[in-house]
Amino acid sequence: MRTRFDEQLETLHKEMITMGALCEEAIARSARALENQDLKLAATVPDLAGQIAHEERDIESLCLKLLLQQQPVASDLRTISSALKMVTDMERIGNCAHDIADILLAAHLTPDAEAQEVHDMALDTIRMVTDCIDAFVKKDAALARAVVDADDTVDAAFVHIKSLLLEHLRTPKVDGEYVLDLLMVVKYLERIGDHAVNIARWVLYSLTGKREQK
Amino acid sequence: MNKRIFRAIFGAAMAVLLASFALLVGLLYTHFSSVQQGELRTQLALAKQGVEQNGLAYLDGLAPRDTRLTWIAADGSVLYDSASEAEAMENHLDRPEVRDALAAGYGESSRYSGTLLERYLYAAQQLDDGTVLRLALTQNSVLALVLGMLQPCLIIFGGAVILAFWLAGRLSESIVAPLNALDLDHPLKNEEYGELSPLLRRIDSQQKQLAAQTQALRRSRDELETVTYNLREGMILLGPDGLVLSMNPAARRLLDAQGPVLNEPILTVCRNLDLQTVLAKAQQGTPAETVTQLPAGAYQLDASPVLSDGEVRGVAVLLFDVTERQKAEQLRREFSANVSHELKTPLHVISGYAELLMLGMVKPGDIASSGEKIHAEAMRMTQLVQDIIELSHLDEGAKDLVWEPVDLYAAAQNTVQSLTAQAEQAQVFVSLQGDSVVIDAVPRLVDQILHNLCDNAIKYNRPGGHVWITVAAEADDITLAVQDDGIGIPDAQQTHVFERFYRVDKSRSKAVNGTGLGLSIVKHAAEVLGAKVSLESEESKGTTISIRFGYPKTEK
Repeated sequence: MRTRFDEQLETLHKEMITMGALCEEAIARSARALENQDLKLAATVPDLAGQIAHEERDIESLCLKLLLQQQPVASDLRTISSALKMVTDMERIGNCAHDIADILLAAHLTPDAEAQEVHDMALDTIRMVTDCIDAFVKKDAALARAVVDADDTVDAAFVHIKSLLLEHLRTPKVDGEYVLDLLMVVKYLERIGDHAVNIARWVLYSLTGKREQK
Repeated sequence: MNKRIFRAIFGAAMAVLLASFALLVGLLYTHFSSVQQGELRTQLALAKQGVEQNGLAYLDGLAPRDTRLTWIAADGSVLYDSASEAEAMENHLDRPEVRDALAAGYGESSRYSGTLLERYLYAAQQLDDGTVLRLALTQNSVLALVLGMLQPCLIIFGGAVILAFWLAGRLSESIVAPLNALDLDHPLKNEEYGELSPLLRRIDSQQKQLAAQTQALRRSRDELETVTYNLREGMILLGPDGLVLSMNPAARRLLDAQGPVLNEPILTVCRNLDLQTVLAKAQQGTPAETVTQLPAGAYQLDASPVLSDGEVRGVAVLLFDVTERQKAEQLRREFSANVSHELKTPLHVISGYAELLMLGMVKPGDIASSGEKIHAEAMRMTQLVQDIIELSHLDEGAKDLVWEPVDLYAAAQNTVQSLTAQAEQAQVFVSLQGDSVVIDAVPRLVDQILHNLCDNAIKYNRPGGHVWITVAAEADDITLAVQDDGIGIPDAQQTHVFERFYRVDKSRSKAVNGTGLGLSIVKHAAEVLGAKVSLESEESKGTTISIRFGYPKTEK
């Protein structure tokens, strides 16, 4: 019975990593598509988001099955319950990446004066997602804490870009659509950062058993 | 082993003890029995004589302690008994010893008492008058003997058991101790037990075999590691359960794998989705490949299953750098697109004018100018096709080149002469300086270089501009420099001018007759000749392009 449980936990771990990898790929593709104006690449993101949603359902049912059939305790219970919470955040990351790709496909958005800032912010966000998945894979509490701290950088970048866009609105020849679309994109990036922080917090919980204060 | 030896020794001691005890009891008992029997006979003989001489009076005078004397008449009735009243006793005729005595004159028998603890020995003798005299002796049975000796026996037995237990323990330990102390690393140095030497020799030979095999294994593993360690391509070997068996440094670097990788699931080492996809296919038993974008560039992933007996025993993954190949492919695609575009433009003009001429829509006076335009575009196409042929020739490595001594200065002179008309037309002054230098080169390529460089210097110039051509020879360094004070090349575009079909000023390119292939040809030709091209330019100040032939001039 134990060995079967261990096997299922192993499967859960693998599925979580796969889902994390899908999330990383989705946001990386969205960011690359934004930077290089690669609409073909952007068009592949919805497919990835679909895969992520599928993976979320699989992992959820696996977790529920484990909870019901094996009645885990202590650290096993923490692992499973935090996995159950983490997949929700991962799925949201997939959704955000999907939304960014949608904006690109619909509006042919070309960041202009803010290109560098948006690029940096996207890189920071991708780093956060990669790090929180890494923290989960390697059971690295320090890395998870670093992700929680890195959120400030992304939030600051969001505020900065928002102020830049505000400057745009003050000029007489304002392209309203551009400002709104870019604001949406950076807001989605900021949301992805928040989800990465949530994931990192759940990793910390599964490792230490303590819920950190928000 | 210790336990078994102990049990054997202890068991044997116990068995010997018990057996000797039983035998001893048996022997003693028979001995005592026979002694008692003899005594019985003697006493009976004595009693017979007494009775025959004195009759009952002898018997009455006798007061036997251990024995019982009975006198029995011939009909079996008891005449006298030393233990009880004779009248009360039953007829003794059916007793075996009495019967024997009546029949043969003497009889013996023995009987156990009801409790089995005592045995009665009987001896009967017929007297001369036909009566029988019987003597009975009470003897303790074996059981009684044993029971009687039980307490001392048990004490002795207990003592023996303790002694045997202690001795067996000590002995078994002392037998096993040298075995435990055997030095199996050097089996032949043990001399404790001669009986073990065949076994030890065997162990020795097997140890040598093992050592040889281990060394062979280690060597082959080291070889593999050395080979893969220095491999530029990444290589990963996975076991059947997806655990990493080996991962060379190139693969670790390419996949950014940190921390320990050996015996880790590949998923925790690298989460690349393309890698997972090809691995999943390979683990099903079908080889798979794909191109993935890694931080270091585009890499081809090649995953092949390791099959044995139709079962997947692992997966080998190779990572090749295909960045260059992809770039080359892209260049080729761009080149063919550019070529068709460049060839189409003059063709439009030619076919347009030809159509006008064909339909007679050109005034007779304009026919000459139309023909000139057609000719000019045709010339342009010819030039283009020639350039393209030259380029593809150089691309293919140009194997059929004839190397011979070339006078660089003379070649430059020829070029200047051939371009005189063009220079005059553009109002550009061309000057040539330097000495005659002979190098070993391909004349056609040297001409190509000179022509293209001078042609560009004149073309991208302004009226009243200058072109200076210098042939300089130092110790073993020959430089050809073409300098102009023309329009120059902007900094940002200097890296691109050697690309095919690249034109700095796209709006001017139609005005200035050029193919965009000139500098590309120069670069390739210089590469074939083993020379280095360098470019210095400043916008609206002028350009200097120098070709350094790194090899010494040949003496005439």
